[in-house]
Amino acid sequence: MNARLLSRLNDLFAFTMMLAIAEILTFAMILQFREGEIPCPLCLLQRVAMFGVCFGCMLHFRHGASVRNDALSMLFGLLLLMISARQTLLDIVPRPGHAYVGSAVFGLHMPVWSVIIATCILLAYTLKLALLGTDNLRDDEEKTELISSAQSLLSYYVIALCAINFIAVVLQCGLDACHTTGYKLL
Amino acid sequence: MMTLIFGTLVLAFVVARFGPRWLAMSFLLACLALSIGLFLYEIYSPEYGFRMPWLQVQRNCVECAFGGRA
Repeated sequence: MNARLLSRLNDLFAFTMMLAIAEILTFAMILQFREGEIPCPLCLLQRVAMFGVCFGCMLHFRHGASVRNDALSMLFGLLLLMISARQTLLDIVPRPGHAYVGSAVFGLHMPVWSVIIATCILLAYTLKLALLGTDNLRDDEEKTELISSAQSLLSYYVIALCAINFIAVVLQCGLDACHTTGYKLL
Repeated sequence: MMTLIFGTLVLAFVVARFGPRWLAMSFLLACLALSIGLFLYEIYSPEYGFRMPWLQVQRNCVECAFGGRA
């Protein structure tokens, strides 16, 4: 495949992946702040895993295409799958003290959605590596100003999301364990 | 612990954008290690360990499903 086309497709993939995860995280934060649904510890860890996938994309934007960035994103995708699968199994049998937290979206609760999201992330990276390959992977092609601006803007947005999450976690948990009963510092 | 995890994550992102790659990777790997530690702590139960005894598979369920003809 043409090296320039390969570079552009890699850029497009990383951008789309980061945009999709940023939308999911934004939606989660809207549910948290507008609907008052305080996230549980495992829910927060799933957000960390999603941010980790974004981290690989951000390294791609700044340092160029590399299999190492993809591997990093896949590692966090796997972490997301492990955490969400365990949480799904934890709450799959309703009993005192154990039930899915938060409201259902299209009939599915958040940890079940996370399993689907993690599977989609890993599937997308697998297909990308299978179809685009890494044989002609070069990133010395000059990016247009539009692509660079869009990538920078999205990176800053994800950093801002992460910072807001950090502040929310400080307010919710302080330096102790997190609870879904309320914000500890408010 | 969760505050520490998100703190290292924010640092990793900021350094990934403005600083050296090795430092960003160090913060991210610290965040990953802390996350795995907290995950194991959260799912561990003093009563059950890491097992999930509420998930039961009964041997006679196949017979139930097929009306005792299995």
